Parts: sequence; structure tokens; C-alpha cells
Amino acid sequence: MKPRHALMKNRLAILLMTGLMLLLFCVTSAAEKTDSPAVSSLKELAHSRIAVTTGSIQAIQAEKLFPDAEISYFSTHVDCLEALRVGRVDSWIEADALLKYMCRENPDLTYIEEALSERMDAAAAFPKTDRGRRLCDEYSEYLRKIKASGVYDALQNNWFGTDGVKWDVPDREKLSGQNGTLRIAVDTSMVPFTFLRDGEIVGADVDILLSFCGEYGYQVEFSVMDFSGVIPSIVSGKCDFACGGIAVTPERMESLYFSEPTYEGFSLAAVRKEAVPEREADFFRSIAASFEKTFIRENRWKLFLRGIGNTLLITVLSVLFGSILGFLIYLLSRKGNAIADRLIRGYVFLLERMPIVVLLMVLYYIVFRKTVIGGLAIAVIAFSLVFGAAMYGMLLSGERAVDKGQEEAASALGYSDRQTFFEIILPQAVQHFMPSYKGQVISLLKGTAVVSYIAVQDLAKMGDIVRSRTYEPFFPLIAVTVLYFLLAALLIKAVEILIGNIDPKRRKPEKILKGVRTHD
Amino acid sequence: MIEIRHLRKEYDHVTPLRDVNTEIRDGEVITVIGPSGTGKSTLLRCLNLLEKPTSGSIRIDGEEILTPGIDLNLIRRKIGMVFQSFNLFGHLTAIENIMKPQMDLCGRSKQEAYDISQELLKRVGLVSSALRYPDELSGGQKQRIAIARTLAMDPEVILFDEPTSALDPSMIGEVEAVIRDLARAGKTMMIVTHEMNFARSISTRVLYMDNGEIYEEGTPEQIFMHPEKELTRSFIYQLKVLEINIDHSSFDLPGASGEIAYYGRKNQIPPKTVMHIQLVFEEMVQQILILELGKKRITFRLEFSEAEEQARIIIQYQGEAIDMEKVKNQLSVILVRNVISDLESESVPESPLNNRLSMRIRP
Repeated sequence: MKPRHALMKNRLAILLMTGLMLLLFCVTSAAEKTDSPAVSSLKELAHSRIAVTTGSIQAIQAEKLFPDAEISYFSTHVDCLEALRVGRVDSWIEADALLKYMCRENPDLTYIEEALSERMDAAAAFPKTDRGRRLCDEYSEYLRKIKASGVYDALQNNWFGTDGVKWDVPDREKLSGQNGTLRIAVDTSMVPFTFLRDGEIVGADVDILLSFCGEYGYQVEFSVMDFSGVIPSIVSGKCDFACGGIAVTPERMESLYFSEPTYEGFSLAAVRKEAVPEREADFFRSIAASFEKTFIRENRWKLFLRGIGNTLLITVLSVLFGSILGFLIYLLSRKGNAIADRLIRGYVFLLERMPIVVLLMVLYYIVFRKTVIGGLAIAVIAFSLVFGAAMYGMLLSGERAVDKGQEEAASALGYSDRQTFFEIILPQAVQHFMPSYKGQVISLLKGTAVVSYIAVQDLAKMGDIVRSRTYEPFFPLIAVTVLYFLLAALLIKAVEILIGNIDPKRRKPEKILKGVRTHD
Repeated sequence: MIEIRHLRKEYDHVTPLRDVNTEIRDGEVITVIGPSGTGKSTLLRCLNLLEKPTSGSIRIDGEEILTPGIDLNLIRRKIGMVFQSFNLFGHLTAIENIMKPQMDLCGRSKQEAYDISQELLKRVGLVSSALRYPDELSGGQKQRIAIARTLAMDPEVILFDEPTSALDPSMIGEVEAVIRDLARAGKTMMIVTHEMNFARSISTRVLYMDNGEIYEEGTPEQIFMHPEKELTRSFIYQLKVLEINIDHSSFDLPGASGEIAYYGRKNQIPPKTVMHIQLVFEEMVQQILILELGKKRITFRLEFSEAEEQARIIIQYQGEAIDMEKVKNQLSVILVRNVISDLESESVPESPLNNRLSMRIRP
């Protein structure tokens, strides 16, 4: 029976992989079709389709300047870029520094020379607290100083210039940190201000930051998150300040302090060049190229490895703690205390229905705001709470599946309540809830993909980071999917080894009467 | 040995036990019979405290077990219980079901528990099924294992709660044989059952329960052959009873006759017998009693015994006793006498309807 079972599994795996490859083929070939005409001046944008990133300053500008345009909001730059390349949109409005960088990387794109706006500054953002004010003043003072001395231009040259003086930035490892450590919120998709290269956070704003820290005796600790998380994390005090091409707007100034500008720029619109060059048609070669870009180049596999580590850590610990938590709650509820019962029901009610993202945000930005507990630990806490509620439900249904009569029979024999539960009910309940337990573990694993909201870099986030670096729209996603499949299989195997084998009916007769002389 | 006094159990809306008084002496085999829902099972469950009695007293060897704070689990070990639905532990084999409680609760070693279990399996005839799981056993086998599990704890008394009610008829015998064997060995037992022949042959004493009380008790001979009280009789003889009250003013005689016909059909009484009952009703009540008595109260009670296929009529009335020989309407008397036998007339001074006539319808 076993080998056949294994064969079936293998076949299933092959089928799945084939399916994924086909999917990949479909999306890559679909990505090459584009028929909409290219745009060449700002006037033409008025009734066109425009891509912007959610929450960006350009989104507001686009709404104001082109009220009749059809605006699509994407959450990352990669998505904007891809939408433009495949012809889902006609233009992409973004800060000049990023767009110029993108157009250099993607020869099929160009930008309209005419600027969309007046000068628009980017600066570091600080919370409106005393400490925020003080740091902001220090930062501004430093910026004014280096702008006067020419160091600023040298630093900018590292990223925007083609020649001239380059400036050495202090090594992060060698910062003295005598005046404490600054926690900095960054979005690592803000090319070329803050982004990942060779697994390191680099960029123009990072250079300024590190120079500042060298001068003022600070150490730096980065908290990586999506742009939508950056401002909440400094307002709530989780981070000391944020940098990375954050545009200065009157609205933002109401809730934040901004330093002296770190970059003076404006918005541009990127468009496709008229002649879209035919892309490499060879499917396998393009797969190989994607693979090289996604995993090999800049040792990106290390990012995936780190992501897998975090995802596994959160999942395994949450399953462990959640199981214990659910078990304890369940034992408590068996005692029949009315108040405890109501509390437990409230807890289960809340946790079963609350979107996990909301729970994460509440814990991160409100409950543990002032503590040193990091995102990873908070993720473990949140998912343990969720899994605990699920575990409680599973135990309850497992117990209900064991008929009440056995409990009575045990009582009548003289078993105490506790003994009855552990000796009679639980061994049978486990068998009943095992299938749903495995299901819960899998859904927890998939559920952890939202932890990037609280600056934890799990597998899904690493996929996003790689996408934002390689501008490969699909391959990293599919790679992440395959990795999730493998992780799920691994976890299920582990659960089966740890718990699945306690099915009492699979015991061998010799084991049942182990240690007994049977004299017949 | 076990003394039960004024035991009462109330729930919010029902009171299954009103006032139970009895005792269980060593070596007795007591069967509890009675209609469903009269508190038989509740009585057993109160004895080993699976249900907490509302009031009253239960003493085991002189010790009151309803004292708060007493160690329930110790008491339960003295009182074994066998359930209608067997309640074997599903994750354990037959022999483990017998061994485990001994090891967990009596402190016996695995070897000791095994030896005892083997003995008991022999006794209930299931040595070959020792390593089967409950879901691989028939109902009768499960119940025998459950009995062995209870015996292994050496209880002072074993309570059986309808031990054969959930069984296929073909399996009742094997379980009854095991219980009979225990009775011969002198085990003290209390058995709730609906198997009348079994109760009659095995017990030393029978309790008939009705309405939350022990309504009548006695030897099997007394209860099964000569039940004294009305409810016991109708239960033992499986009587179907129809009562018609004639309290005048606007009594509907044709309606009552129709009621008898309907009752006959419902209980599958032979049509000829029904016709005779109707004849007795019409002649005796209408033509004789009402004419003789005028506006006095009369009750007409019809008892049909399914077991014996026999109909009995009891008429009670108020006032002076009537002598059938001296009734004016002798024609009616003759008609009635043609279809009945055993006509008896007696006086019941304690009842408001102080005269009583009883008779049987001839088959």
C-alpha cells in the first residue's frame, strides 16, 4: 500500500509543477502582447490610463492634473512598471529620480521631459514629539552643513552623477553608537533612495543617514516595511524616524516634522517608447534568465533563505505556542467557571473573526508600541493567539465526537474528571481533530504572508523585494509559491511524525501487552 | 448494606424521583420495573452519584454518601455500573478496557491486571476477542466486556441500567446468561430492565416504580403473579384501559359507544368482543343502572389485557347496592349474562363511588 501511495504523491507533485510551468508560460507570453499606442506629451495623458503607487504624492498630483484619466493604484513600483510595459496603462507618474533610474534599466521605456509639477522636495520624516523635534533639528543642521561644504553634492554624485568626486560613506558596522541607536523605518523599494543590493540596504538617503550617524555618534537599526507602513510606524513611536524619498506635502506636515530636503526633485511621467522591441521568445532561455536574476545574481537566494527562515520560525513557534494556549484555555473552560467561560468565548469570537492584518497592526502599533518587542515576536504572538482560538475549537469538536457515555462510564468506574479527560477523552479526540489540525497549520503558514505589514521579512516579502530589484513581474511570485508548497509538505510531515503516529489502533498486539507474561 | 431514604431528584420542569425508600442487602438481586420515564434509571444514577440527588439520604454500610466534600471517586469504585449503551473506551482493545481501570485506579500492576482480565474474559466467554477493538465487537460482546470491566474493580454492588435494551433480540440471551451467572455466584445487583421474564426468573425482589416512587414491591411471585395495586396490574398484564365517567346532566351515550368502538379498533380487540363490550355498556349502564339509580355518578372502566387477550369491565356507582336478581329490567340482565362471566358485586366503602361490579367478557 505504501509504495503506491508514494507514487500517487509523486504524480501529484509532477502534475502541480507542470501546472505551474504552464501558468508561467501563459503569463510571460501574455506579457509580451501590447497594442495600445504610446504617448509622447503630457496633454495626451488627460484621457489616458495612468499608473501610480497607492499613497504616493504622485497619486494626488495625477488626480488633480488629470481628473478625466483612468488612474490605477498599485502597491509597488514593480507592479506599476509591469502594467506600463504590458500596456495595461499608458503612463506611470513617479518621482524623477526613480523614473530616470527605471528608464535607464528598461530600454523600452522613456519619460516625457516636461515636468508635472513645481519643485517637490523629499526629506526625512520625524514624529511630532520632543525627541522627534530634536532629531529633526540635528538632521537639518547636518544637511545644511554638508550642503554648504560640498559633501552633499559628493554624496549625491554616488547615485545620480556620472563623474566627479565620490564620497566615502562610513561603514555601518563601524559606527560608534555612543549616543544610542536610531530605529529607522525604510521602504526598500524606493530606488535609488533606499533599496536592497546584495542583501544590503543602500541608496542616496542611506548614505546621508550613515554620514549623519557617523558625525553624531549614532548606530542605526533598519525596520523594513511597505511604504504604507512607514508613516504609521514613526507616528506610533515604533521607529525614531523615516527616510527614503518621502515627499514633503502640507498634509503630511500636519502630522510629521520634515528635515531640510534630502532631495530636490519633481514628478515625471514614464511612457513606452513607440517601437516596443520584440523580447526574447525562447521560453526556456527566458526562464533560465529569470532564474539567474531571481536567485543567483547578488546572491539573492540568501534573501529567500532568510525569508523561509522567518516564515518557518513564525509558523512553527505559533503552532507550538498556539497549541499550548488552546489547550490551556480548553482545560480552563472545562472547569465550568462562568466568568472564565465568558472570557474564553469572547476571545475565540474575536480572534476567529478579526482580520489577521488588523490584529498584527493593533499589537504592533498600539499594544506593544512602547516596548522593545520586535516585529517577529509580535507576529509569533498574533499567530499564536489565532492558532490558540482554532485549537480550542478543534479540541471542543474533538471532544464532542467522543460519545458522552464513555465519560460517564469512566466516572462510574471512579476516574476523576482530570483522569477521564487525559486517559479517555483526549486520546480519541486527537484522532478526530487531526485532519483539521493539519489544515490549520497550512492556513497558518499561508496566513503569515501578511507579516510584512509590521516590518517582518518573511518569504512573501522577500519575493516582493526581489521583484522590486529584478523587475521580474512573475518569476519570483511563482518561485515563492513553489517554496510555500514545499514548506507546507515539510510541516505536514513534521506534524504527522510528531502527533499523527499516536493512533492507538495502529499499535501492534505485542506492544499492547508489552511486559506481560501471557502464559498461553 | 445500602439504605435509601426519602430520595428526591428534581429538575427545573420534572421531578423524576419524588420519594424513594428502600434498601439493598448483601446478596440480593433486585430488579426495577415500570413504565418508561418513571425514574428507574435516575434512581440508579443517583446511587453512584452520576446525578446529584436534590434531597434525601443514601447510606452505604452506615456511611452517608450525600455529605458534601466526600470523595466521589472512592464511592463510585464500590458501586459498579453497566450501561444500556455499553460505553466501552473506543481507543482501547477489549482486554485493555478491563485492564486499564485496574491499573489506573486500583494500583494493580500490569501483570496482575492482565491475569484478572484473562479470568474475567473466560467468565464472559470472550477470551478469543481480547485484542479486538470495541467497534469490531457485536453489541452482546460489547456488553459482556463492559460487565467484565465492572467486575474487575471488585464492586460491592453492580447497577445494571437496562443492560439489554440496546441489543438485537438474538443477543439478549448471551448477556442475560452472564448476569444469571453472577446472580448464582451471589453478587449483589440492582437491575433496571424491561425484560419481564428475565426479571421474574433472576430476582430475589422486584420493585415496581411509577411516578417517581416505589409503588409496589415484593417477591417475583407477588409482583408478577398477584400484583395488588392497580398500576402494577395494568403494567404487568399490559392492560389497555378505557375509562368513561357518567356524571349526568348532558352525558352523550351514543358518543361513549362510539368511543368503545374506536378504542377496540385501536387496540386490535376482536370485533365480537367489542360488540359484547358495547352491549354490556348499553344494557348495564343505560338500561339498568341509570334507570335504577337516577342521577347518580357512575364510572365504566374497561381493561383489555394484551397478554391474555381478555377484557374485563369494572363499574362503580354511588348509592345503594343493586341486586341484579331484583332489577326491573330482567331482559337486559339476561342479555348481559349471555356475554359475561365471573360477575362479582362488592362494596368499597372507602371510595366515593361505593359499589363495585366486575365481570369478564367471555372470549
